[in-house]
Amino acid sequence: MNLSLNFQLDFSPFNLTIEQTLSLQGITGVFGHSGSGKSTLLRAIAGLEQNLVGEIFLDDTCLINHSDRKPKTFIKPEQRHIGLVFQDSRLFPHVNVFGNLKFAAKRCQNRRVDFNEIIKLTELSSLLHKQVYELSGGQKQRVALARAILAEPKLLLLDEPLSALDRHAKISLLKLMLNIQKQLQLPMLYVSHSIDELQQVCDELLVLSQGKVIGYGGIHQMIHQLNHTQDRALNHAQDHTQADDYLHQQTSLSLPIKTLDNGHGLAVLSLSSAIDESQEIYLPALVKNTESVHEQTLRCFILASDISISLIEPVSSSIVNHLFAKITALNSLGNKVLVTALYGDKNKGGGEIKGQEQIFFINISTFSQQQLALKIGQSVYLQFKAGAVRTYLY
Amino acid sequence: MISPDVLALVTTLKMAALTTIILLLIGTPMAWFLAKMQSRFKVIIEAVVALPLVLPPTVLGFYLLIAFSPQYLPGQLWQQATGQQLAFSFSAIVIGSVLYSMPFVIQPLQKAFEQLGDPLLEAGSMLGAGALDRFFNIVLPSTKASFITAASLGFAHTVGEFGVILMIGGNIPGETRVLSIALFDHVEAFDYAQAHILAICLLAGSMVLLACIYLLNRPTTKVAKGQL
Repeated sequence: MNLSLNFQLDFSPFNLTIEQTLSLQGITGVFGHSGSGKSTLLRAIAGLEQNLVGEIFLDDTCLINHSDRKPKTFIKPEQRHIGLVFQDSRLFPHVNVFGNLKFAAKRCQNRRVDFNEIIKLTELSSLLHKQVYELSGGQKQRVALARAILAEPKLLLLDEPLSALDRHAKISLLKLMLNIQKQLQLPMLYVSHSIDELQQVCDELLVLSQGKVIGYGGIHQMIHQLNHTQDRALNHAQDHTQADDYLHQQTSLSLPIKTLDNGHGLAVLSLSSAIDESQEIYLPALVKNTESVHEQTLRCFILASDISISLIEPVSSSIVNHLFAKITALNSLGNKVLVTALYGDKNKGGGEIKGQEQIFFINISTFSQQQLALKIGQSVYLQFKAGAVRTYLY
Repeated sequence: MISPDVLALVTTLKMAALTTIILLLIGTPMAWFLAKMQSRFKVIIEAVVALPLVLPPTVLGFYLLIAFSPQYLPGQLWQQATGQQLAFSFSAIVIGSVLYSMPFVIQPLQKAFEQLGDPLLEAGSMLGAGALDRFFNIVLPSTKASFITAASLGFAHTVGEFGVILMIGGNIPGETRVLSIALFDHVEAFDYAQAHILAICLLAGSMVLLACIYLLNRPTTKVAKGQL
């Protein structure tokens, strides 16, 4: 499914200008800080912003085509078959949970999804007869999600549905989203200001800043691109006051799982390359639970500040992960240096090329860089503890 | 032979009920329009709607009397359409009451619509509900209490009307002689016993009606407390 956006929305002094085609498969993330225009983008796609100039196409359907404020085409939100889960759930207070769900199901023409199946999937059976004000924040969002799905949209928009929830509720809702995506094959556009959440569930990422698209691509690639961003609005904040909004420089990975628990409290991922086919990455053991680890691969990330560099192989160290890699870039910012290193250089392997290259990002001080005399092209050992390999969901 | 006071009661109830129905029918779209309006003319329309709250009823009655008379266009049009004179008729006091009680119906509704805002309506449209569907299945049930308040206040205020009716309706039994005017008649005739009966009935009736409004509005405040 293709969503082609080419429009401007003027709320002086804020201006949203989007010119981008998104190929919607799986979950596409929309990242940006508050005021970047990500919610407005969703509202425009949903049809709740009518004053835009330009056009939006969903596949071949023209959702809106306005030029110079003269509407040529405008499909009303209720006729777009697009679902939207709001940040503040917006459940109807005059009916109970069941009534909210029925509201959606009654107005849906195709009836492809089964009412009871969705209730089971979203684990709402025990809440059906509760009043809306009796629900917790996480339960409300689960109802809102189920309600949106029961309207059987072609595309589901999620506008920071997790931002008001605690971490536990966030994780269970994210898993639910992944599960629903897989079962119903429903394309989703998921807006969040938390890169950790997006890293776990999105395949593609659209990055907005101050009303403009500053990047669109695969999730890992985009996160790595953000490591270098000099954008003032997105910049890596120096103060940690807004821990959630703080954008950490990191290496984002999807790796095949070898073992969930090797008997020593560690899980093992495989990072094979041309040089070493059996390179393993250790991380704290993953708890096996029902739906999560049918997964063959694990999404994880390593903060650039959690990796250190050694010139000799750190054989006698408690740090379990060490990789041989070649420095490809050095970027200094203040008294810190962001080192980019490539693991598994294909050119070195010779003969048959197997496996993959993997880029890593390391944050060290200028002092260390000078001590070790690090240069581009130099081969070094990267080391990081098992605990530095993080995953948000498991 | 039906007692004149009972006849006045029937006329009063008929007038108040009809006025309330008309006000709900025209007041709801007007209140909706005002709640959603963003133009700077909004304050002017709001002021016009609120005018009967401060205007002496006799002023409104005076202008209506002139407008309803056969010499002026509204009265002429009415006479052509119905063949009857508008001034000093039951229709005249209903029209007068509609204008006089309008703020009591429009203001609570407008406030309720403004308070409801767009969030739930947007949620409704994202679930495939069209404009009328949204009004009947989201707005109406969410603002039920305000509709009850609006209808009750409109009704009670119409029952209590005096000045406007005296000016444009006169005192025709079975047509324009309502309770408040019957009471005035008794006092003028020094029939204090009858006056007492009517006065106490009006007082008790208004009291009961207002108590009912507050009683009906209570459950929603409970819900609001539960949400906090």
